[in-house]
Amino acid sequence: MTGPTGTEPTVAHPDLPEIGILIIGGGIVGSCLAGFLAKEGLDVAVVDSGWAGGTTANAGSLHVQMQSIFLQRFPHLVHRLEASLGLYKSAAAYWSDFQKELGADCEVKVNGGLMIAENQEQLDFLAKKAKREAELGLEVDVLDRASLDRIAPYLGPAVIGAELCAHEGKVNPLLANKAIRAWGKTHGAVRLAEERVLQLTADKAGFRATTARGQIKAGKVVLAAGYESMALAAQLGVHVPTRADPLHMNITEGTAPFITHLVQHANRPITLKQLGSGQAVIGGGWPAELGAPGRIPVVKLSSMVGNLSLAQHIIPQLSPLRVIRTWAGINTGVDGCGVIGAAPSVSGLYFAIPGDAGYTLGPLTARLAADCIQGRAPGEDISSCDPDRFTAI
Amino acid sequence: MSDRVPFTFDGVSLEGRYGESLAAALMGAGYTDFRQTRTGHARSIFCGMGVCQDCLVNVDGKPNQRACMTKLEKSVSVESEIFGRPLPAVAEGQPFKLIDDVPEESPEVLVIGAGPGGLSAAIAARRSGARVVVADERPAPGGQYFKQVLVDGRDVAPPDRQHLEGRRLIETALKLGVEIRNNMDVWGAFGPNDLVATEAGFIRRFSPQRLVVATGAYERGVPVPGWTLPGVMTTGAAQTLWRSYRRLPGARILIAGNGPLNMQVASELKDGGAEIAGVVELAEMPLLKSISALSRMAAAAPRLVRDGLRYRSRLSDVPIVYGSAITRIAPSENGLTVQVSSYPDAGKTGTRTFEVDTVCLGYGFQPSNEILRALGCEHVFDSQRGQFVAVLDDKCRTSVENVYSLGDCTGLGGARVALSNGRIAGWAVAEDLGHAPPPSNELDQERRNLSRHQRFQAALWELYAAPRPKIDLASPDTIVCRCEEVTVSQIQDVLKSENPSIGDLKRATRAGMGSCQGRYCGPILSELVAASKGQPPDDSVRFAPRMPVKPVCIADIARIAKP
Repeated sequence: MTGPTGTEPTVAHPDLPEIGILIIGGGIVGSCLAGFLAKEGLDVAVVDSGWAGGTTANAGSLHVQMQSIFLQRFPHLVHRLEASLGLYKSAAAYWSDFQKELGADCEVKVNGGLMIAENQEQLDFLAKKAKREAELGLEVDVLDRASLDRIAPYLGPAVIGAELCAHEGKVNPLLANKAIRAWGKTHGAVRLAEERVLQLTADKAGFRATTARGQIKAGKVVLAAGYESMALAAQLGVHVPTRADPLHMNITEGTAPFITHLVQHANRPITLKQLGSGQAVIGGGWPAELGAPGRIPVVKLSSMVGNLSLAQHIIPQLSPLRVIRTWAGINTGVDGCGVIGAAPSVSGLYFAIPGDAGYTLGPLTARLAADCIQGRAPGEDISSCDPDRFTAI
Repeated sequence: MSDRVPFTFDGVSLEGRYGESLAAALMGAGYTDFRQTRTGHARSIFCGMGVCQDCLVNVDGKPNQRACMTKLEKSVSVESEIFGRPLPAVAEGQPFKLIDDVPEESPEVLVIGAGPGGLSAAIAARRSGARVVVADERPAPGGQYFKQVLVDGRDVAPPDRQHLEGRRLIETALKLGVEIRNNMDVWGAFGPNDLVATEAGFIRRFSPQRLVVATGAYERGVPVPGWTLPGVMTTGAAQTLWRSYRRLPGARILIAGNGPLNMQVASELKDGGAEIAGVVELAEMPLLKSISALSRMAAAAPRLVRDGLRYRSRLSDVPIVYGSAITRIAPSENGLTVQVSSYPDAGKTGTRTFEVDTVCLGYGFQPSNEILRALGCEHVFDSQRGQFVAVLDDKCRTSVENVYSLGDCTGLGGARVALSNGRIAGWAVAEDLGHAPPPSNELDQERRNLSRHQRFQAALWELYAAPRPKIDLASPDTIVCRCEEVTVSQIQDVLKSENPSIGDLKRATRAGMGSCQGRYCGPILSELVAASKGQPPDDSVRFAPRMPVKPVCIADIARIAKP
């Protein structure tokens, strides 16, 4: 056996020489999947290149309606997004069940999400979008200002109407990640942090994943590494075109709760919500810089100014709050749908990549991936997420 | 103009001095409880310099204003801040704007910090012909060492020699045409020529050709039972109340910690009329072995040694408890009951108890290196002083091109070292910009000055050498993260169970997630995590640098018209 550079011999990993199922990526999907499989009594471990809860950050929005930013950026993929809308709806609802499974309060709230409009053109766009979403089975409504005054009086005078999607909500990712980790541990999931998989090979005997500390032999491998799944899959000759979208996030100090919905904009990037701590989390599509591999992505001043200027413009009451921290998280995009299930050409290789709203889709994606690994029929239609849909390398 | 300003606090009519901080005015009126935390505990002024976020009050409906940084200039309605108070109604926001709408200034040199080092660098660069802007968060220049008397009145004691030396430095800078911008909070450093600030509520960008970071230091947090109680503040906070606003922090005061500042402040407060119950010093009493250090100090800076002896003689009737630390502060009927024991060996001498109304804690300083870290400037850990120090060349250039730094933000050296390095940095900046270099004899002379001051500092540290408490003065229920009220036992539970990274510790406990952005708990947690991993502290055990480096109001980011 040889190491990552192809010359030096590779030693067995001191803590994990061999495992039945190796999950690469310990973010929301990998952590949940490790818990599900461990609970079923399987021999499973998850490795992450960084830290607990995933190396890249998340913000805890539960997205269901089609995000205007996606529609603007990827008009050619709208049909794909439409194909996975049902999964979004199920995934957001599943968070409530999953919270029960975890036995911890993760502040899962499904109060609905508002996508606001500042002018008639935006409102017309929302009306058209809502019509299509209703056809696809979502519970949506377009509200005028008078209706908004009743359910969202915190919206400023710039807002003339909004689309309300009843399935949307939020979850506190800090609490959820902590609970998921504890739950997985209870069921015996092994977890290794700061273990970047440098080389992944497969032969008849199974898989070998090499980290800086040694080689892990695995019977099966699940790629749950978000945007980094593409490079890992390529090592096995499988093509999965994941895309990294580094995004800007802001968080304020705490105040009395007053923003009850997940708030978005019909024409500009913003996602805004308030956590149980009273802190407003403001983000939603302003870009960050990816930075060097293995380094945290870097925030941009232009994103910070634009994002916060927009936030106070639509919710003026936020104006006196102070921002205490910003960070960048990496969203993983594919083609509007996730990638879930067995790889077409490599036996024992599975994917668990949730697609554009990773945190929303995370627990459900993990559950569906677990079904595929166990050879059960998944409880949802995941034909849109078939790993076989991409051209082979 | 009248030197008195009326204001109200929680509906009570009060009067303060024009130009003093709200914190000083409230202390002068006998109020110590400024705000209530999430758990309903009272907090008061702690750092006194805009760092700790513990003195937050509501001013004319505007929440979370730092009382120590808000100047009393007009009649205002002040309310104690209560965590979770509903935000005021705001009828309309600012129009939506983008970064290109933000006015940008391009001085040749931007100096951040108008303390001794920043002013000295600005003067040297300006003398060499550079266009220099100095940005400072405080209402007046001078920094901590040269903070000026900012109030007038018959009952206001006149400035002393240290004030006057600072005033001359400020006047020199202004006379030369250095543009000093106060109330300018530089909260973001996105690149050496991409800085962002708010100035009196308006956002500003700077794209200087060269950046000089001289952001000073803040006092190290040493958790001890009761250190979050009102009436407990840093020694520096007490000094600011007295030196800038001529307010005493209390009537009967115990000062504890490590280093010469405690003795100076004890002496100043005593001169101001306070009763000093005692000074508790971690270091052992200077004995024969200290003579070598003292004589080296006397040779290097005789005036500073004279000052030190003067402070000490002013305290001749004050108990000085050496080799000891405060081990507990508890509320009592008339103020605070304070326990003092020998440290590190608690059993060595008996425990003493002091009844006071005010406790000052001064355990030395941590460099304010947030901007340097944000820019990626290289740092190394100095285990003796327990802090990260910037890697600099002999002209104060950092590892990042076009970024210079000096003074206490690069690792502690004191005001004299900052003044000297300021000149060297200012000359280097100007020369690197193509202006005339300084006469070589002046540079040589300055290097000799610098090494003399460094010898003085080294001897001073020897004199005050002492074991450095981390959380060993704390009990399991003592708060480590003041903002999020995270206790020692919560931290230790995570450390014990999971071999966590600093990020894990933060996410698991919320330590470091509050308004002071981890400034007080961060250095402690870094050392604890490093120890649990069995490695020396390096960048991997520090909180990742995050913008903004100080909390910034959303309205101020969005308000981009010229004032």
